[in-house]
Amino acid sequence: MKSQAYHILFLDDSWWMRTIRATFYFAGGCMIIGLLWTIISINSYDASMETHLIPSITTTFEKCKIVFDQPFRTTDNEFDSGIFWVIWSSIKRVSLGFLYASLVGVPIGILMGSNKMVANILNPMVQILRPVSPLVWLILAMYVIRKVPESNLFMIFITCIWPTIINTSFGVASIPEDYKNVSKAYNFSVWKYVTKIVLPFATPHIITGMRLSIGIAWMVIVAGEMLSGANGIGFFAWNSYNSQEIDSIIISIFIIGLVGVLLDKLFDFLHKSFAYESK
Amino acid sequence: MSDQIQTEIKPNSIVVNDVTVTFDTVKGEYTAIKNISLEVKKGEIVSIIGHSGCGKSTLMATISGMVNPTTGTVEANGNLVKGPGPDRGIVFQNYSLLPWLSVFENVFQAVDAVLKDISQDHKKEIVMKNLEMVNLLQHKDKKPGQLSGGMKQRVAIARAFSINPSILLLDEPFGALDALTKGTMHVELLKLWNLDNRNKTIVMVTHDIDEAIFLSDKVIVMNNGPAATIKEIVDIPIARPRNKKDITHDPEYINTKEKLTGLLFEKLSIND
Repeated sequence: MKSQAYHILFLDDSWWMRTIRATFYFAGGCMIIGLLWTIISINSYDASMETHLIPSITTTFEKCKIVFDQPFRTTDNEFDSGIFWVIWSSIKRVSLGFLYASLVGVPIGILMGSNKMVANILNPMVQILRPVSPLVWLILAMYVIRKVPESNLFMIFITCIWPTIINTSFGVASIPEDYKNVSKAYNFSVWKYVTKIVLPFATPHIITGMRLSIGIAWMVIVAGEMLSGANGIGFFAWNSYNSQEIDSIIISIFIIGLVGVLLDKLFDFLHKSFAYESK
Repeated sequence: MSDQIQTEIKPNSIVVNDVTVTFDTVKGEYTAIKNISLEVKKGEIVSIIGHSGCGKSTLMATISGMVNPTTGTVEANGNLVKGPGPDRGIVFQNYSLLPWLSVFENVFQAVDAVLKDISQDHKKEIVMKNLEMVNLLQHKDKKPGQLSGGMKQRVAIARAFSINPSILLLDEPFGALDALTKGTMHVELLKLWNLDNRNKTIVMVTHDIDEAIFLSDKVIVMNNGPAATIKEIVDIPIARPRNKKDITHDPEYINTKEKLTGLLFEKLSIND
């Protein structure tokens, strides 16, 4: 027999208990990471440079205060603006590229999902291009477009378009015969078929594709900004390396991680709100 | 108008003329139904009955236009059937309601698609009238997922009635319902048919003998597939209106049931 305290602490399913438990687990995780960080930091002392290669938690925290000081400041030099604008610049680029990719990818996906011939023609192309690192497209774009921010935007567009096309076409292709029969039996126009059957059925799949897209895009933008020198969180990390501010690199890791989680949660939320009860 | 005159002037509603349906499968050609001919008069209720896989649904699909006959022709209301059309309302086996639309929207989209030339208000009015007929007005904003099987079937029937087809095709419409709900639905269906002055032709696929007798004027018994044919067409000489409770004592009912059971279970009785 488990005690009553055990039941309340571990099995109680109220929102409060779940939140409290989650907080404790999170705190536990933080403590483990903190401990590992401290051990690594202490052992990373480099005698020749007379410094720790990995800064301690406290030095990083001190640096944090400087980085997050006046986060919304703007200057004539965009590379010197507040950290919020640096992050925002990356988010904006990812969102815009993602948006364009969705506008192009969803219709192509619908076409591929509803027409076997289109699918057979396009699918091999998609399969070949999908595993290509978007950074290759970045250097190609830099040569052709010759503008750094636009080239990064193009790279994100390419990053996002494959998962969007693949998931949309999968969603559309798996529409049950039953629903197609309703459309046939009641003379649905193409427009009605698309808006009342195809899109509602495929939306959860489309959002899954978008969620994958934005996750990859957020990883790729960091590398893109490093490679091309476009202002953003990737450039912030690269710049920190160039100026030997290792604490700033660690800060950028946390920022990238947190923003990534938020983007993912947003699409998780969208996915849940568009899910319908089947049958 | 007396019943006699009506029967005399009743035109054919459905004519199935020497229809064979062959499907191309990976393993080769599969003939589902073979050389089937059949006439259904306007306002008749006809059941197609047979064992699973005997091609009942295939025969039905050739009438609805979902499947084109490999050879032979199907005529509905004097027109050659080339595909599904709004003169034939279909109630599918598994209701086929769109789960993301409310009850109202499920019916409305069908009305909107078929009756293009009338005003939005008129369309809504038609939907409301049909939902009222099947007693679902208070559930009109619910999603199909929140309804019971019987309610879903009523939505499907309201949807089929709302486009006011002259032919109503029901593919095992009550198969998934429990016996009590089924009984209620039979009465409801006949009520709707009566409301429309018995002008709608109803063709129904079923494997329930009692259901077939209670509802139909004619029962079409199919042979077992593949290449299924019609074994016999049995007339149901029971006067309408029929009463669910009394009918079971009707000698005609008992005779017909015996006959149909014999036709369907011939082999079993020999082996026993």
